[in-house]
Amino acid sequence: MSRVVAEDPGRFLRTFDLVFEDPADRAGFTYLPGQFCEISILGKGESPFGIASSPTEDGHLRFTVNRTGSVTEEIHALREGDIVGMRGPMGNWYPVDLFRGGGVVIIGGGFAFTTLRSLLVYLLAHRSEYRDITVIYGARSPELLLYRDELAAWAARDDLALHLTIDRPVDGWDGLTGFVPSVTKSLAPSPADTHAVVCGPPVMIKFTLPVLTELGFPDERIFTSLERRMKCGIGKCGRCNIGPKYVCIDGPVFSMSELRENPEPV
Amino acid sequence: MLDRTALGRFISVLAGSYDVHAPVTACDGSFEYAPVRTAEGLDGTRTVTGLSPKGIFFPKDEVLFQYDGDGIRSGEASCRPIAVWGMRGCDARSLALLDRVFGSAVQKPGEERFQDPYWKARYDGAVIFGAVCVKPLSTCFCNWFGGSPSSTEGMDVQVTDLGDAFLLAPVTPEGEELLGRMDMLTQAADTDLDASREVAHRAGAMMSPPFSLEGLDRRLPELFHDPAWAGIAAPCVNCGACTFACPTCHCFDVQDEGRNGRGRRLRVWDSCMFSSFTLEASGHNPRARSLERVRQRVMHKFSYFPANYGERLCTGCGRCVAVCPVGFDIRKVLRGLGAPRDLKKD
Amino acid sequence: MSVEMELRAAACRLLEEGTVDLFIGWERGSLPASAVPVFITDPADADRLVFDITCGTNPAVYFTKDHRQFDGKRVGLALKGCDSRAMVQNIMEKQVEREKVVMIGVPCRGVLDRRRVALAADGREVLELSDLGDAVRLSGRGFDVEAPREAILADSCLACAHPDASVADLFLGAPGGMEDAGERRLRRVREYEALSPAERWERTVLEYGKCIRCYACRNVCPSCYCEVCFVDQNDPRWIGGTCEITDTLIFHLIRNLHVAGRCVECGACARACPAGVDLLLLNRKVAIEVLERFGEEAGMEIGAKPIMADFREDEKQEFIMG
Repeated sequence: MSRVVAEDPGRFLRTFDLVFEDPADRAGFTYLPGQFCEISILGKGESPFGIASSPTEDGHLRFTVNRTGSVTEEIHALREGDIVGMRGPMGNWYPVDLFRGGGVVIIGGGFAFTTLRSLLVYLLAHRSEYRDITVIYGARSPELLLYRDELAAWAARDDLALHLTIDRPVDGWDGLTGFVPSVTKSLAPSPADTHAVVCGPPVMIKFTLPVLTELGFPDERIFTSLERRMKCGIGKCGRCNIGPKYVCIDGPVFSMSELRENPEPV
Repeated sequence: MLDRTALGRFISVLAGSYDVHAPVTACDGSFEYAPVRTAEGLDGTRTVTGLSPKGIFFPKDEVLFQYDGDGIRSGEASCRPIAVWGMRGCDARSLALLDRVFGSAVQKPGEERFQDPYWKARYDGAVIFGAVCVKPLSTCFCNWFGGSPSSTEGMDVQVTDLGDAFLLAPVTPEGEELLGRMDMLTQAADTDLDASREVAHRAGAMMSPPFSLEGLDRRLPELFHDPAWAGIAAPCVNCGACTFACPTCHCFDVQDEGRNGRGRRLRVWDSCMFSSFTLEASGHNPRARSLERVRQRVMHKFSYFPANYGERLCTGCGRCVAVCPVGFDIRKVLRGLGAPRDLKKD
Repeated sequence: MSVEMELRAAACRLLEEGTVDLFIGWERGSLPASAVPVFITDPADADRLVFDITCGTNPAVYFTKDHRQFDGKRVGLALKGCDSRAMVQNIMEKQVEREKVVMIGVPCRGVLDRRRVALAADGREVLELSDLGDAVRLSGRGFDVEAPREAILADSCLACAHPDASVADLFLGAPGGMEDAGERRLRRVREYEALSPAERWERTVLEYGKCIRCYACRNVCPSCYCEVCFVDQNDPRWIGGTCEITDTLIFHLIRNLHVAGRCVECGACARACPAGVDLLLLNRKVAIEVLERFGEEAGMEIGAKPIMADFREDEKQEFIMG
């Protein structure tokens, strides 16, 4: 644990930076945005978390953890210098190669922005390989937006269109107000040669996807990252499947066309 | 050939180098796999044990690792090689299917997957003496999956009980090699071979004709929202007995136990039938309803697993049918789903 | 008219008149000598109903699992003694609305246990079973034998104190039951109690050591309906998940205590157990202890308070007072 930052005053969200104890482990660990790791607290258990750092950021792995159960409760109690176990990287990744040469619109809600941060930082580190980059990020209220110090810096860039929104007006907030689906409807870029990546609570995804379809984004150019209860993370324990696909090895990143083919509803 | 009177010696010689397991009838009438060192209690007359032998290779609970102040120690079994006597074709084939998930057998061609060292430590060096089924039960439907009373898939040696002697036919080089080391065996005569063929033939004739599942794995996704599921799932109380008795079900849970700096990580059997199986920390449960879980079980075995591994995750052993407290019969379900729509008749 | 025919007529009438939307009973199963729960909405299907020695499932369980499936519907059901007590207990615990169910009592002389049937046939598969009254006829490939009826009945039935419905809107036929069952129930518990602590431990470990922690017992029990069972909680983790005897015994002891005064000894747990554990060993002991201590049994009277949720000043309190 090299750095611990509380994200919200309610103390449900904390961001942790981890560094490998053994440099050989660090050298052997390569990942892409969208992947996740299983973090272990021995004696308590193990849980999967999306990697929030980008492979272009050297030295640490970043995770943002929502305090919601016995393992995350323990993780929240950790301090700098503490050790955790980790298995990873696991799962597939956002197809950054497919995105190359075209535009990317990143749509996120609440604390699901973790792997989207990884994706955004990666794209910015390879800025010239992508056309226009748009980010639409919403949360219930300002203090529930993650990475607020970085959001300000990104907003100031002229090679990135960043739109932040909150659900209801709040004093002191001069960004947008409105739910992510409606902000997407008005501010999404043209779908021509553009890929969309959507991550957020189920209800946000449910209402954002039809907006993208309406705007003309075809299913094979809309990607999302899904979650299911996980244990082994390597496709053996049979728990995280959606139809024939395991979220841990065939996902967590799926295209809309893959999901429409899947008999089981998301 | 192994003379019946020499079976005890065969087992005890085997037990000298292997941990031997075999189906045994206990005094309370139960018929289950147990470790054996002699032939006592061995029962070749009863066909299917209550619980499957998957527990020998994929234990119902096992320690993945332990930890304390000195570090982490893997629970990987460095056990004596395992030998199983009297395993039926359906069970031997089930283990071969599980090997596709956990072991060395290739899963999706061209793809690298994780292999389970705990499984491999037990299964890779194991010797399976299979048994030809003399009397199939009314619950047996191995022939729906290409099996028969005389299947050899997954076996190293196939054993036919001819009354006063057993015919041992090697199936794999490992089986052949082991038989070569057993001095109480004699060469089989042509009459013995004829007799064994007769046993297999007679048993095969006792099986009901199979129902064809051709194309069902591709049709099932189209039937995902079919109203028939409500009627199919109605009697199920999601007790999970089917998944625990089933030789191919392998869903598991991982649990940590620990206090004051020492503890262990366990793997234990779990079941898709349980409502907590997919329950997320947020409280959201994608399969909250019984119908969704019953459908998942059928879809996994007969559509999803085939999509990923090219095989159905069932060998027709019939234990799920026998053990179900409400009489859920997977054969009836498959016939209903597989046939042109006329479920009410069933 | 046989009870079975009376039952079919009653179910048909209830559905035709619209008194109920759904009728739950038993129909022939696909396995030899078996019956399975059937959910009937069409009066014409009432002819599928059967009632005999094969009708073991306790239909009360459907009211406490996946609750929403009966929401708003009026349900009629056929109930043996134990089944009706389970329904009454669930009505007492406000899991079922009395006005929404029509309970038809059927006289029970016991149901079969498939393991005991196999034992009576020396392990051979029984393909046909006939109830001859005091005996049963078992036949299969190459054999045809008679066995005393009691040899194949479930142990819960051999020791059943309440074979007939405690509460019913309609009771069909003459009362069921069997001689000596009540005495047998007491005798089983006394035998267990008479063991020395070391013997009792051995007996318990031998029996419960067979457990594979599949939770079928809990899942078929009409009284086990907690949304999150204590075994599934991990914050705090009350119990380990292994099949080590300590973990296993803790599970069964706690479950028995959770159903104390609520368990009707229907035996559904024992019949569902894929490992053949005699689960009534401890359940019965707890039930007798509740009876001796509080003078009451589960599921007898709708208006009564659940036994363990009630307190009376004249209760035995020797463990406090010394």
